[in-house]
Amino acid sequence: MNREELILKWLDNNLTEQELEAFKNLEDYDELVTLNSGLQAFKAGDYNTEQELEKVMQVVKTRKKTPANLLKPLLRIAAVLAICFGVYYYTTTLNTTVATEFAQKTTIELPDASHVSLNAKSVLVYNKSDWKDHREVELEGEAFFKVAKGSSFKVNTSAGYVTVYGTQFNVKQRDHYFEVICYEGLVGVTYNSHETKLKPGDSFLIIDGKTIAKEKENRSEPSWLNNASSFTSVPYKMVVEEFERQYNVDITLLGIDSSQLFTGSFTHDNMDVALKSITLPLHVTYSKTDHSITLKRE
Amino acid sequence: MGKQLHGNICEEHLFSSIFKKYSKDLHDFLYYKFGELLNPKDKVQEAFIKLWENCTKISPDKAKSFLFTTANNLMLNEAAHQKVVLKYQQNKPKLSTNESPEFLMQETEYNDKLQKALANLTEAQRVAFLMNRVEGKRFKEIAVLLDISTKAVEKRIYGALEKLRKDIKEL
Repeated sequence: MNREELILKWLDNNLTEQELEAFKNLEDYDELVTLNSGLQAFKAGDYNTEQELEKVMQVVKTRKKTPANLLKPLLRIAAVLAICFGVYYYTTTLNTTVATEFAQKTTIELPDASHVSLNAKSVLVYNKSDWKDHREVELEGEAFFKVAKGSSFKVNTSAGYVTVYGTQFNVKQRDHYFEVICYEGLVGVTYNSHETKLKPGDSFLIIDGKTIAKEKENRSEPSWLNNASSFTSVPYKMVVEEFERQYNVDITLLGIDSSQLFTGSFTHDNMDVALKSITLPLHVTYSKTDHSITLKRE
Repeated sequence: MGKQLHGNICEEHLFSSIFKKYSKDLHDFLYYKFGELLNPKDKVQEAFIKLWENCTKISPDKAKSFLFTTANNLMLNEAAHQKVVLKYQQNKPKLSTNESPEFLMQETEYNDKLQKALANLTEAQRVAFLMNRVEGKRFKEIAVLLDISTKAVEKRIYGALEKLRKDIKEL
């Protein structure tokens, strides 16, 4: 048994009698014993367990467990659920919005294969997830609908709403102007809570709050789908406004009666030709700079 | 621990028995590691109060390590800004004074050296060494308290002993 082992055993109070003898014969025995007795002076201060326990218990008794311990995890779960539900609700009820700018047209396919063509400067809003239960769109501007057969299809506008089953029709809602033309099937237009039924070829037109009678429409779809706008006895200012939307220009009228009726059409593809078509019949001259056109009586 | 393992520390009798089992060891541990000035008794109290506040979250078998870690951290928070003060209680009451004055002087001198040498040990060495020498704990008991292996305890204690003897000779 070597010296280090002996010392270790001594430290661990694990010496046998024999080993103790051997340990006592070590040359460092005296030194170790002196050191050991010297160390005893460094003993930690008295510690009275009972007394200390009493102190702790006094503090502990004034601080009984709070019920918050039970409530906290429940609140956490509730918060997570609330967030999940909120996200789910938000994403599923989120509306789809399609908007067109000046001189822009687009075609939208709705979830049930109904088609909507959107004319310039118009907005269409619908809800994908809710589509099965409510075929409903919001429209601001002008659009042509080809509605697939199914439950009622509703178009809401600020002027009135249109309910249909499976059909083709055009809705135009502009400032002081609300027009619905039915091309196929049956369309119900509700304006000022009064419903008007339109058969194919019938149209419903409100200008400045007045119903305007119109002759039968014999085209199978609105002219704007073929890049032309046509008008039958429409106040001239409405024609000009439509022109502005199609070409993104500002038009100023000088000495022209903007309420006179206009019948005719203009194309969306060539501004000069279009300008001629709306000015020549009324004997009006025009001058144009970049984005503004002035119309003047001859 | 046996049966106690299945209880809840929130029950007073179990809390008291954990207190009786560990508070003295915890106190000694803090004392030997950080010295007297940082109030090891207060830290023991604080650690046990923290244990009580968290009694629902801590199982009885985790209580010991929770107490030692908490008390140690409490100490470190305070010790962080000052060099650890090591002032050991120096005079054991002398009942008999029939020793010669020379002997008494030698003893005081020796204790001074010992104090300096102890201050030079690492915290880990000092805790293990004094728990063994002064509190009379076996290597195995210290290993359990400190959550280290018996071999590591042996190494710390033997290392401490060698260093002390060397330092005392040099001083």
